[in-house]
Amino acid sequence: MARRLLFLAIFVFAASSIPSLAEELSDEQAKFFESKIRPVLVKECFSCHSNQTGNAKGGLRLDTVELTRIGGNSGPAIVPNDLDESLLYNAINHLDFVMPPKRKLPESVIRDFREWIEMGAPDPRVTEPTVLEVQITPEDIERAKQEFWAYKPPVAGKAPQVKNRSWSKSEIDRYVLGGLEQASMTPPKDAPAYQILRRLSFDLVGLPPSLDQIESFERAYTKDPDHAVAEMVDTFLDQPQFGERWGRHWLDIARYAESNGRDVNMTFPHAWRYRDYVYDSFNEDKPYDRFLQEQIAGDLLPAKTDEQWATNLIATGFLVLGPKNLAEQRGTQFTADLVDEQIDTTTRAILGTSVACARCHDHKFDPIPQTDYYALAGIFVNTVSYFGTPASKYGSIGGVQNRNSGNLLRLPIDDPSDFEQRLSPEKVAELKSELDSVVQEIAESRRSRRMNDAANPQSINNIIRLTVKAEMLSAIVGSIDEEGNPISYCMGVQPVDRMQTVRVLERGEIDRPGQVVPRGFPAVLQSNPTVVPNDSSGRLEFAKWISSRENPLTARVMVNRIWQHLMGTGIVRSTENFGTTGLAPTHPELLDYLAVEFMNSDWSIKSMVRKIANSHCYRMGTEFRQDCFEQDPDNRLLWRMTPKRLDAESIRDAMLFVSNQLELDRPRASEVAKAGFMRVRDGNLVNPAAFVGISAGMSRSPGRFQSMMRDAYTVRQSGGERLDMINAKYRSVYLPIVRGESPRVLEVFDFAEPSMVVGERESSNTPNQSLFMLNNPFVIAQSEALARLVYQSSEDRSEQIQTLFRLVYSRDPRPSELAAIRSFIDTFEVDGDQRTRAVRTYVAICQSLFASADFRYVN
Amino acid sequence: MNRYYSRRTMLKTSTAGFGYLAFAGLSTLAWANETSKTRNPLAPKTPHFPAKAKRVIFLCMTGAPSHVDTFDYKPQLNKDNGKSGLYGGRLLGSQWDFKQRGNNGLWISDLFPEVSAMADDLCLIRSMHCDQPVHPAAQTQMHTGTAQFVRPSLGAWTLYGLGTENDSLPGFVSIAAPPGQSQHYGSAFLPAIYSGTSIGRSGLGGMRNTMARGGASVPDIKNPRLTSKQQRQQLDLIQSLNRDKLNRESYQPEVEGIIESYELAFRMQDALPQLMNVSDESEKTLRMYGADGGESEAFGRQCLLARRFAEAGVRFIEVSHGNWDHHQNLSVDLPNRCREIDKPIAGLLRDLKQRDMLKDTLVIWGGEFGRTPAAQNGDGRDHNNKGFTTWMAGAGVKGGFSYGATDEHGYAAVEDKCHIHDWHATILHLLGLDHEQLTYRYAGRDFRLTDVHGTVAKGILS
Repeated sequence: MARRLLFLAIFVFAASSIPSLAEELSDEQAKFFESKIRPVLVKECFSCHSNQTGNAKGGLRLDTVELTRIGGNSGPAIVPNDLDESLLYNAINHLDFVMPPKRKLPESVIRDFREWIEMGAPDPRVTEPTVLEVQITPEDIERAKQEFWAYKPPVAGKAPQVKNRSWSKSEIDRYVLGGLEQASMTPPKDAPAYQILRRLSFDLVGLPPSLDQIESFERAYTKDPDHAVAEMVDTFLDQPQFGERWGRHWLDIARYAESNGRDVNMTFPHAWRYRDYVYDSFNEDKPYDRFLQEQIAGDLLPAKTDEQWATNLIATGFLVLGPKNLAEQRGTQFTADLVDEQIDTTTRAILGTSVACARCHDHKFDPIPQTDYYALAGIFVNTVSYFGTPASKYGSIGGVQNRNSGNLLRLPIDDPSDFEQRLSPEKVAELKSELDSVVQEIAESRRSRRMNDAANPQSINNIIRLTVKAEMLSAIVGSIDEEGNPISYCMGVQPVDRMQTVRVLERGEIDRPGQVVPRGFPAVLQSNPTVVPNDSSGRLEFAKWISSRENPLTARVMVNRIWQHLMGTGIVRSTENFGTTGLAPTHPELLDYLAVEFMNSDWSIKSMVRKIANSHCYRMGTEFRQDCFEQDPDNRLLWRMTPKRLDAESIRDAMLFVSNQLELDRPRASEVAKAGFMRVRDGNLVNPAAFVGISAGMSRSPGRFQSMMRDAYTVRQSGGERLDMINAKYRSVYLPIVRGESPRVLEVFDFAEPSMVVGERESSNTPNQSLFMLNNPFVIAQSEALARLVYQSSEDRSEQIQTLFRLVYSRDPRPSELAAIRSFIDTFEVDGDQRTRAVRTYVAICQSLFASADFRYVN
Repeated sequence: MNRYYSRRTMLKTSTAGFGYLAFAGLSTLAWANETSKTRNPLAPKTPHFPAKAKRVIFLCMTGAPSHVDTFDYKPQLNKDNGKSGLYGGRLLGSQWDFKQRGNNGLWISDLFPEVSAMADDLCLIRSMHCDQPVHPAAQTQMHTGTAQFVRPSLGAWTLYGLGTENDSLPGFVSIAAPPGQSQHYGSAFLPAIYSGTSIGRSGLGGMRNTMARGGASVPDIKNPRLTSKQQRQQLDLIQSLNRDKLNRESYQPEVEGIIESYELAFRMQDALPQLMNVSDESEKTLRMYGADGGESEAFGRQCLLARRFAEAGVRFIEVSHGNWDHHQNLSVDLPNRCREIDKPIAGLLRDLKQRDMLKDTLVIWGGEFGRTPAAQNGDGRDHNNKGFTTWMAGAGVKGGFSYGATDEHGYAAVEDKCHIHDWHATILHLLGLDHEQLTYRYAGRDFRLTDVHGTVAKGILS
């Protein structure tokens, strides 16, 4: 049996040439290893670095070829043919590392290791990979494809014949009405015009209608409802606010955030480019298949212009925006988790299927064998993620706790944000030479520390101090070119230089490899298995496949999301689970009809929104009917429109809008971009140096670093509410989204957790929200602005109140409400002259309208 | 289908007081056997079976305290000091003396003189283990059962299962929670009403100084402009608008929810700051908690606050204490940390006892894992998730009792092993909740805190 040289356990990026995989060791090589290498490893290294002794100092074990090449926390111990990258060789030469700790091995031994590495480090200690048996058979998969609705391609049938022909204005209506008639139910009365307008306005652009729109729509609706709605829909679809509104829905799915989250939470100062890309894509009505291809493989798509290329690169930010545990000590584990997060997000967001369930064992419910997971993993393993904490030309200069820094992609165009500063060439040179000397100093300190061993704790602090200094300096130096001009970066991915095969991992554990799995896609979703060429990561093929008509899920999942955002609930209510444990579609034929229409319209999202918004179903009233409820308590058949609670962004934007404070222009970049590369702490963005400063006594140290420290503290002292942004007037979709520190105004109203794929937000009503509406300075400020506006709108109190109601609720006040307002005006006790009293009373009234249920719910 | 039944029944019976939960989320309420009481999801619910514990105070030590230097006595470790350990490294005996404490002679080290005096109330679980060897993941598993997915926290499940008893306060509070860890008191897919309210989270509202003194802040708890009377008038207007909407729309449970949450919020404005103002506590009490100054002041005040919340009827109270990650400098840092919490914890136990509350309050102490018997950096210990100690005291557990054991050096749990899932099952059991029955339907399947695992550690039940 041929002994295979397992060159790397999975997920390690090969940096150098690797001997042929199937190469057998020659007798001579084997003898060399057995006589010159193995005895040294056993005698000199195993006591601290082996499974045999149970010691894995620095995470390093040297028992097998795989473990040796995975290496420890600092990287691979041996890289064949590469002395510089082989840390074991570095250590026995007492360079950055000093091994064995107290003495140097004889020169002859060091020479042997040199020879061995240069001959490709032939190593017979290969773990025989176990062949992992998957339990899900090809027959199981074939059966699922035949039987389960979601794995069959969508086919547009014929809408059912309905009795009430005048009610049904479109195919959609016939499908829904057919269901109702079958259950002997009738469709509800239409909602009043103002409610339809309010729905359209919030659903399409995330804002309440203006006074003018209310007036003209009501007039047009009386004349011709269909025409009035169609015109309004087109108007809204053309506004840039449409892309912001619907792009934000996508960002919920894409778990968009501007920091990596977890314990060591570092900012992503360039994430905003992806955010803007998403909004622009929705506004351009970019075909959804193209939109997906750009996000998964934009770097591999042809581009005619540099601008197009830049856009494609920015789109791939989708893959790298996820939460990461930067403090993870084992690089292999970090990469495995990164790949896992990419698989999980991609498959749940786009396919409504959680392939990541099959990381450690076959999927428990869906026909996805564990090998399918590793087939996908092969695609992402052969992809380099550039997530930039921080950008650095010096490779991965991480912080003390930021052990897994990535890099950034340089854009082919110059597009600096307003916050990226120009530095003088002299300054650049100065910073660079300082960085060089710090990097050198770190190496020296490490060496001297290792020589003196643990005796000198001050030297640990010194290394920490220097490391943070290097991290900060490299972040600055990395952000400018030689002339000191800011470089425009984005987050994203690139292919690896050399493809790696991937092995299935027993129980998902990185040191338990099984058989090699060819790159590919989940079998149950393919009509014909795609073969990924050996020299391709398969990512482009994956992007094309996932966005193709062949794929039974992609179109269905997306039209279901669009339906859900307009109608309140999805046709499949488990929006991220179209598998066997998900909920069955309430209207399967309608879902298929919409999916086919979607694909036929060149995957146009705007067309799909237009189609649904123009249906009669969309105009259904919310009236509650006991008999229908008895029969269908979950409203599966759609016997009424379910009232929707406004989401967090709409609540904030609506307050700003009606008080005439909202700035509709897109702000440049983001508050996070403004702050730059920072660590997130206590609701603030803090210079990483501030942390070590405390433990290492940095604030007493002389020189330039001291002023840096002072800056860090100044930022810190400015208060912990920086990220709440209560004074910002731009749209909520531009507020900084830092993991663990979402602005309170969003957080309190069930903002999407930015570490999760969120297809449907919670819509709770909590005391916390009540406290926010009663006491938050932002709410009070908008109430004051609105009160002034209303007070000045007319001399007449009744007109003022009417204007107020039309602004906030898009309708006139009812008599009972007027009575309540009047009674409040009469009884509210407030000091001051008449005008002051009047305005302050109005402030209280305006705030009450914001706080009330009618503001928060769209019927 | 139970959930349909539940919703229909709720509809028939609900006239007022529905509470909090938006209509859209209602049909997902899976636990349908409490139809008459689920109208307000926070109303007290009957547990699955009678139980002694009515509430929980969880003292969470982040960073993982060393068990072999505190509550897990390993004489063999001291004997083998300097020898090679089973899993490598050189064994490091404990430099602190262990003594038998209380009537039952529990072995506890000198690091906890005050807590030791309460030994007869402690139930040590010396056979803990979990799956995660790194802090964030292990912390997450300790709070939610899994580090892999975002899942509801222990406190959220408790609140979901039992409701709460004080309608002027949140049912689950997390005191001094580490920033950016909201998942640890979050509700994930459970309705948001079950998530913990973070009290005194540093950074919110710039309350650092208050925090340091163990006080706390709650955002938006006070109106900066209106007097209480003016605000009540304003609230009456809000509520009349809400009621108007309720009247004209025949069925709007979410509007009722909003009405109730405003009333609770309004009450919280008085109740919460009042509860958090400890000036009415006597000097003697402050001293008992070590809250009168010195290194134990901050945690002492937080423990005192925990008692006040417990007394006020809050269901689940968590207090966090950090910096237990002693890879180095163990001989100095460990005793420092212990001094910060020793008096406060003993004070809390004594105080609960003298108020006759320990009989129905479950106090839990522990970190996310333990530390290796072998040395690291000469004077430190590495992470060890294979064996560690937590303890419980009070309602439903045996006092002066030690459950389970690690091996002779303290590496791995070997006897009556208690995985974090078992620990969760046991805590729920002590509260009268069957961890297999406490489920919530989400995305098409029933979830529970213990997933498919968990065995109640019957041996510790009194």
